[in-house]
Amino acid sequence: MKTRGIRRTVAAVAVLAGVTTLATAAGAGLGDDDAQRRRGRRREPPVSLDAPNTPYDGKFTFVRLQYGMEMDLGGFGGFRGRGLPPWAHDYPRAERNFMKILDEITGLTPFLGPTGGNILRLGDPELFKYPLAYMSEPGFWTMSDEELLTLRHYVEKGGFLIFDDFRGGHWYNFEEQMLRLLPEGRLVELEVSNPIFHSFFEIETLDFVQFYGRGGRPTFHGVYEDNDPTKRLLLIANYNNDIGEYWEYSDTGFTPIELSNEAYKLGVNYIIYSMTH
Amino acid sequence: MFDALFELLFKYRPLVFDQGDFVFASPWSYLLLVAVLGAGAAVTLATYAQARGKSTPLDRGVLSALRVAALTVVVFCLFRPVLVLSSIVPQQNFLGVLIDDSRSMEIADRDDEPRRAFVDASFGTEESALRAALADRFALRFFRFSSATERLTDLGELGYAGLRTDLGQALDRARDELTGVPLSGLVVISDGADNSESVLTESLRGLGADGVPVYTVGLGREAFDRDIQLSRVETPPSVLQGTSMVVDVVIGQVGYAGDAITLQIEDEGRIVSTEAVTLPANGEAATARVRFTATEPGPRIFRFSVPPKVGEMVTQNNVRDVLVVVEDRREKILYFEGEPRFEVKFIRRAVADDENLQVVVLQRTADNKYLRLDVDDADDLLGGFPKTREELFQYRGLILGSVEANYFTPDQLRMIADFVNQRGGGFLMLGGRSAFAEGGYAGTPIADILPVVMDEPTLVDGEPVFIELMVSPTRAGETHAAMQVADTEEESGERWKNLPAVSSLNPISEIKPGATTLLTGTGAGGSDERIVLAFQRYGAGKTLAMPIQDSWMWQMHADIEPDDLTHELFWRRLLRWLVDGVPDQVVASVRRDRVEPDEPVELLTEVVDGAYLEMNNSRVNAEVTSPSGGFVEVELDWTTERDGEYEGLLTPSEEGLYEIRVEATSDDELVGSDMAYVFAAASDDEFFDSAMRAPLLRRIADETGGQFYTVDTVASLPEDIAYAGAGVTVVEELELWDMPALLFLLLALVGGEWGYRRLRGLA
Repeated sequence: MKTRGIRRTVAAVAVLAGVTTLATAAGAGLGDDDAQRRRGRRREPPVSLDAPNTPYDGKFTFVRLQYGMEMDLGGFGGFRGRGLPPWAHDYPRAERNFMKILDEITGLTPFLGPTGGNILRLGDPELFKYPLAYMSEPGFWTMSDEELLTLRHYVEKGGFLIFDDFRGGHWYNFEEQMLRLLPEGRLVELEVSNPIFHSFFEIETLDFVQFYGRGGRPTFHGVYEDNDPTKRLLLIANYNNDIGEYWEYSDTGFTPIELSNEAYKLGVNYIIYSMTH
Repeated sequence: MFDALFELLFKYRPLVFDQGDFVFASPWSYLLLVAVLGAGAAVTLATYAQARGKSTPLDRGVLSALRVAALTVVVFCLFRPVLVLSSIVPQQNFLGVLIDDSRSMEIADRDDEPRRAFVDASFGTEESALRAALADRFALRFFRFSSATERLTDLGELGYAGLRTDLGQALDRARDELTGVPLSGLVVISDGADNSESVLTESLRGLGADGVPVYTVGLGREAFDRDIQLSRVETPPSVLQGTSMVVDVVIGQVGYAGDAITLQIEDEGRIVSTEAVTLPANGEAATARVRFTATEPGPRIFRFSVPPKVGEMVTQNNVRDVLVVVEDRREKILYFEGEPRFEVKFIRRAVADDENLQVVVLQRTADNKYLRLDVDDADDLLGGFPKTREELFQYRGLILGSVEANYFTPDQLRMIADFVNQRGGGFLMLGGRSAFAEGGYAGTPIADILPVVMDEPTLVDGEPVFIELMVSPTRAGETHAAMQVADTEEESGERWKNLPAVSSLNPISEIKPGATTLLTGTGAGGSDERIVLAFQRYGAGKTLAMPIQDSWMWQMHADIEPDDLTHELFWRRLLRWLVDGVPDQVVASVRRDRVEPDEPVELLTEVVDGAYLEMNNSRVNAEVTSPSGGFVEVELDWTTERDGEYEGLLTPSEEGLYEIRVEATSDDELVGSDMAYVFAAASDDEFFDSAMRAPLLRRIADETGGQFYTVDTVASLPEDIAYAGAGVTVVEELELWDMPALLFLLLALVGGEWGYRRLRGLA
């Protein structure tokens, strides 16, 4: 058990200290490019998506879902996209930073490699070895019938999905894909009293101020098993929000540290919740 | 046969010769006997010595010998050989006649006549031969016995309806009744099919010391020609509702080798399971394993039966009823997990729909930070793992996940060991990076209670070694109720073989003596055989070791269908088994859960305090509700023989189920309560193992100086008792000179001499 981390009464202040410490530590270990990036947000070179996945070894490994690779959007996302497909936004710095935070402040021993985790296609049977998966930009989410079936089985068996980084009209595609994925599932907006917001950090408000100031009020949505609020959440969707972005830039000073804190708190809570519910 | 031939030749039976002393009753002295015999022999020899003619010396020698021998027989008779022995004084002695009044006397296994027919024929009226012969010599006192014994004034009172045969208490009771009178012995007329729990040794020792011989008369056959019997059905006294029970049923049989039968199980009239069984060779028992689920709560009578076969001599032993209390309560299990991991989620999911299991999760999420799930009270486990015995012992099961040993104080480690040893709880340690040796448990009290041997931790670069294991059940695992993950044993075995691999960081390959391995795992290519699940009884409880870290693979893996219930079944059954039989502070029981009406039954209760230390100063009361709704209270007293054990006596008078609620208080505070049940009803116990038990009856006779008889030999009983020497006796001389054997001998000698002469032409 690590002796670092927070005290029993965990407060955002403590997280802030953790994030700051981590950001410093992370920055110290980065190359020149990263050091430059830390000084300010700017267009970054394309990221390789070909890094091999780490094989299952019993440790918690962050999984980013890959969908619609056949979709060639060129420079999708402008400077934010850096030429990456939407599912890869914020990769790998988001998960890499997030895993370090998890390692620092929780009892988890996650995979801490340079990729921050694994990338798995929706239809990949390896997905079933990782009962938590993260999807970025579900506004662009597409899937074949085969992938649909795999993902549905994943959720039915106990997998937990995090949808992040979508806003405005992206909702329509997300909702449509959700209807395909879980035809009986009912997306509901989550209240702050939901256990997922209290599994590690006590999140007291969901009034999350969007850094970009666009896309409307951030809201959190989920689907309960059997649509029964007393049962577990099968997934959570951060609508009008982008916690992955805050993870990615938490060590650069580009985003407000309070927002990074909140993003980490949400992420940690999602992980703990998915492991206990 | 031998006795009859002996009696024909020697006038009396061997028993009389055994009892008596041989003497010559002639007033003349032995010297005169020798002198007469010597004179006679001398005259004979002299006569033959002078004889001449055709005879040779050999002829004369043979003839002389024959003549002297004949003369010896005559002289022997003249001197009045007698047997001197004690014989009872007629009508001065009592004889107790104990007649088996149990249901097994109705079995018609001899010439199609029930066993009781012998009683009717031999004792039915005062003129009946055996009764008359005994009555000539003794004052008879009749008793009937089954589970109880009572004096019998009229043999017409025999109903042969007793539900149990208790020979020990019958002998004790008859001896007590006849204390102080001259007693020649006791006659027990029974099939000897004792099915009581009493021990005969004390009774026989008492009779032997008092010099009261017991004569036993065995009725019925020692072995049936054709019979099927449910010899044994072993079920737990109580199970949790919804528990899938695996019950072994031993079916004894003779005369039906190779036949197919169907074993059926009913839950109070509803068929819950059937099992086809092929009977083995004659005389060999078949063991059938049947599975069914206890779905209805409360005390339930489960009936096991096989249909009667054509030609069966006893059919009542094809059915057995057993009382099982199906508990509808939530068993509380504490699962302490030291690091966030998916095992918690999937174990919780597996048992979520099991209303009888409450898995309270204490998840350490960071140093000194915990997530508590499914706690009863907001304050429960607020400070982490329980620090007192009272706090920990409220749980019936404890699961330790990946939490390092030095998290615990030495007292907490000791407390966990006591949880098993003293409290009787079920303990399960799961694998993980901080479990077993890798968690520093070697040398701790927990290492003592675990069923596996822990070596030094195996670390590479400071990290435990990861290995994936294909799991399969051992032979013990294949048949174990908790390991059944499909409808049949075969399907379950197959399912295990096809489950995806799980992983381990704890290389354990050895169990302790007395432990049992249920699941093993092998690495790629069959290498590295490891223990996956092992258990042992430890003290009052049991411990399980399961050094794998991701059994959730049996739920999540790509090869598992979404509707597959293997993982759920496994964990539900494992955790139900973990807490099976775990005692509460007050545990009530009855010595026997099935009795006949008016048969007393002992109520037992064990009482411990919150730390599970025995309490001898409790007030223990049983509130008994009879089948008709009547209510009585029975006070239980400390037995003084065992700490914390209280005892009372209940005599059910009605037929049906008695509900017994036992409550223990101390200083006017409730310690706890428990329920027990006893079913008072006529049973068919008498028809099980109901062949005549000659060895037991023979032992009773031998150890008391009596004799064992069958229907064929019982005619000599009156005379045998008369000469047995017990009671008021007189010395009696039995003449032997007129034994047919002597006459035959004399005729043979004289005839032999005549024949020899004729043969040799000596005329």
